[in-house]
Amino acid sequence: MMTDVVRFPPPSRPKKDATAYVGMVIFLGGWAMMFAGLFFAYGAVRLKAATWPPDGELALPHALPFLNTFILLASSAALVLGLRAVRQAQPRALTRWLSTAIVLGAAFFALQVIVWRRMWLDGLRPDSGIYGSVFYALTAFHALHVLVGLVGLTTLLPRALRAEFSVARHTAVRMWAMFWHFVDAVWLVMFVTVYVL
Amino acid sequence: MSADTHAHGDHEEQHIHPEPTSFLRKYVFSLDHKVIAKQFIWLGLMFLLVGGTMAIMIRWQLANPGKPFPIIGHLIFVNSDGVVSPAAYTSLFTMHGTIMIFFAITPIMIGGFGNFCIPLGIGARDMVFPTLNMMSFWTMFLSSCVLIASFFVPIGAAAAGWTTYATLSTTMGTPGLGQTLWVVAIFLAGASTIMGAVNYITTVIRLRAPGMGYFKMPLTVWGLWLTAILNALFVPVLGSAAILLFLDRVFHTHFFLAGTMVKGGGDPLLFQHLFWIFGHPEVYILILPAWGVVSDLVSFFSRKPAYAYKVTALGMCAVCVLSAVVYGHHMFTTTMSPMLGQSFMVLTMIISVPAEIFFLNWMHTLWQGRIRLTAPMLFTIGVFFVFGLGGLTGLYLGTISTDLYLHDTYFVVGHFHLTMAAAVFLGSFASIYFWFPKMFGRDMNWTLAKLHFWFSFLPITFIFCGMLIVGNAGMQRRLYNPNEYELFKHLHPLNVWISRAAYVLFFGSIFFIYNFIASILWGKKAEQNPWQVTTLEWTHATSPPVHHNYDVIPTVLHGPHEFNNPAVTDKDWLGQAEPLPSNAGAEAAKKPAG
Repeated sequence: MMTDVVRFPPPSRPKKDATAYVGMVIFLGGWAMMFAGLFFAYGAVRLKAATWPPDGELALPHALPFLNTFILLASSAALVLGLRAVRQAQPRALTRWLSTAIVLGAAFFALQVIVWRRMWLDGLRPDSGIYGSVFYALTAFHALHVLVGLVGLTTLLPRALRAEFSVARHTAVRMWAMFWHFVDAVWLVMFVTVYVL
Repeated sequence: MSADTHAHGDHEEQHIHPEPTSFLRKYVFSLDHKVIAKQFIWLGLMFLLVGGTMAIMIRWQLANPGKPFPIIGHLIFVNSDGVVSPAAYTSLFTMHGTIMIFFAITPIMIGGFGNFCIPLGIGARDMVFPTLNMMSFWTMFLSSCVLIASFFVPIGAAAAGWTTYATLSTTMGTPGLGQTLWVVAIFLAGASTIMGAVNYITTVIRLRAPGMGYFKMPLTVWGLWLTAILNALFVPVLGSAAILLFLDRVFHTHFFLAGTMVKGGGDPLLFQHLFWIFGHPEVYILILPAWGVVSDLVSFFSRKPAYAYKVTALGMCAVCVLSAVVYGHHMFTTTMSPMLGQSFMVLTMIISVPAEIFFLNWMHTLWQGRIRLTAPMLFTIGVFFVFGLGGLTGLYLGTISTDLYLHDTYFVVGHFHLTMAAAVFLGSFASIYFWFPKMFGRDMNWTLAKLHFWFSFLPITFIFCGMLIVGNAGMQRRLYNPNEYELFKHLHPLNVWISRAAYVLFFGSIFFIYNFIASILWGKKAEQNPWQVTTLEWTHATSPPVHHNYDVIPTVLHGPHEFNNPAVTDKDWLGQAEPLPSNAGAEAAKKPAG
């Protein structure tokens, strides 16, 4: 048996970065299945329900979550620009975009708290019925991911200020950006299914 | 094209790190995949003993209902004079299933041998994310602590069955902290498994040695890799079910509650859907590592290349894909639409086709081999036998008309134990005996190992075939005392014999425990390649391997089962990275084929 020739493509990026990228894609792909499970549960509940919201339940607001969707999208866009900046060797710009993304993310979270508070005061509770269960469970689980993302992005900030990231070494920025886009994508599905439909 | 040009290809990142010297870094918070593998195996073996003891208590109750459990009964069942009470019995079978699946098989086969075999088998220095690997073990350890703690809370441990169907598993069915801690433990165990899965998948994609194409990987690595893929995709679904159950229990949400008192209303069946979307891939997750291992071992000890290697690998891939779309066969009796039920039935029948194909490949590998009946090979053949029985009995459960009768009987218990308990148990011991010399650098006592085989294989087959019979006679699973029912009284002698076989199996493990510990302490030093096999960990790594596994990462030239190559004259095998003897190509060409 002769040796099969095995070709390896020439490395286009630093190897560690590419490896981390593969790992992150696999992790997020798997983690998405957890949200898929939650949406599956929600879908099953909706299929059974005669009316939605069920009789006697207040409908969820649309305006604030709609605004929030734009805020989160803008936050993701800021990270895209930040990543582009670090790849073009502009560490100053990275710091700026990173801070923008964090502020927007925090604003999203704050608005989400306002929405929760309003619904809570209007009498919607996790234990008052399936409508409240779905609303609080799904949005809270998503908000938990927003918090994790915010903490992650905030840990990058001092490193960015010290100009630790360079064209060759910025894996952490890329990974947290991927996570943030994931949180963003989940929110889009959640906004459409939980608030709009 | 010379091999040297590849050698630098994908391997710049695999530096040789100095071996840690502090006790904590070396043995406790180790980043070394070989140490983490051993940690997982120790954890799994401990829980195997705990889960086995619970099985014995269950069997004691079925054989001698109402009699106090001998010796330790008065210590454990304090309030019932040593008798297994109905409540304790429910907890016992719940925790037996949970422990065996999530805390024994998963740590031994996936955490242990996944960690040990993947980097060594593909020629890597370690896992690609060593810190994540360490966190995976310690998350599992934390999960174990939560699970153990659940035994000591008021009202006792979880008692809703390992499947924890709602509404039995909500606070209505099982109040108390025990069941809640169960949910937390399962979520943590799942998190640990996902960390491992991300690591294993990425390691196989990124760190294969030069020349190690996907179809040159040992089938062990294939099995473990596919396991990791299924884990990454479906354990999160169990996570979502655990989250919703946790919310229902702690925050009183209504996901799994239905009825007139509930506004809008959730759906108890929803839990079963989520559980089995995870649960059916899970049974393949549990058996795939064993499939991979026995596919390799049958070739190694028949001294023949694995028959249709690629077909076996692709067959396992096909099973993985199909495993995602058959889960409904667990729910035939839940007023499922007949149309949907039939679709699930057809898909279930289809999944047995790839499984049969690689089963025949194993038989064909054995055929006319020069079989060496070593201890790992005995266990491998044992796997074939019990897995074959388990697979065949599965057909009756996958068919709606027969399942309606057999559902929730001991036939189901016998069937799934044959596949994911007996086959995985024997597969785990095949792996332990096979890799022990590599892992610990010591030889085992092979006579004791073979005795252990006979004391495992015979009783385990008897136990679960016996269960098939009592199940076919109609005896329901999870029954506390079958003798209370006139129609099951005649089954009592068989139940007694099943229990006796279980005691033999339990005490037969003394051969293993003694052998394992004594060999670690006093075993002879093992050779580098005692089995004379072909894969990298045996041909290019010392026993035990050095901290960085390979001084020089080998360049792979052959498939994993290079036996009886006519160009090799001095032995019947050739290592994966061993070049053919010079001029061998010309000589081989001269020789007539076959």
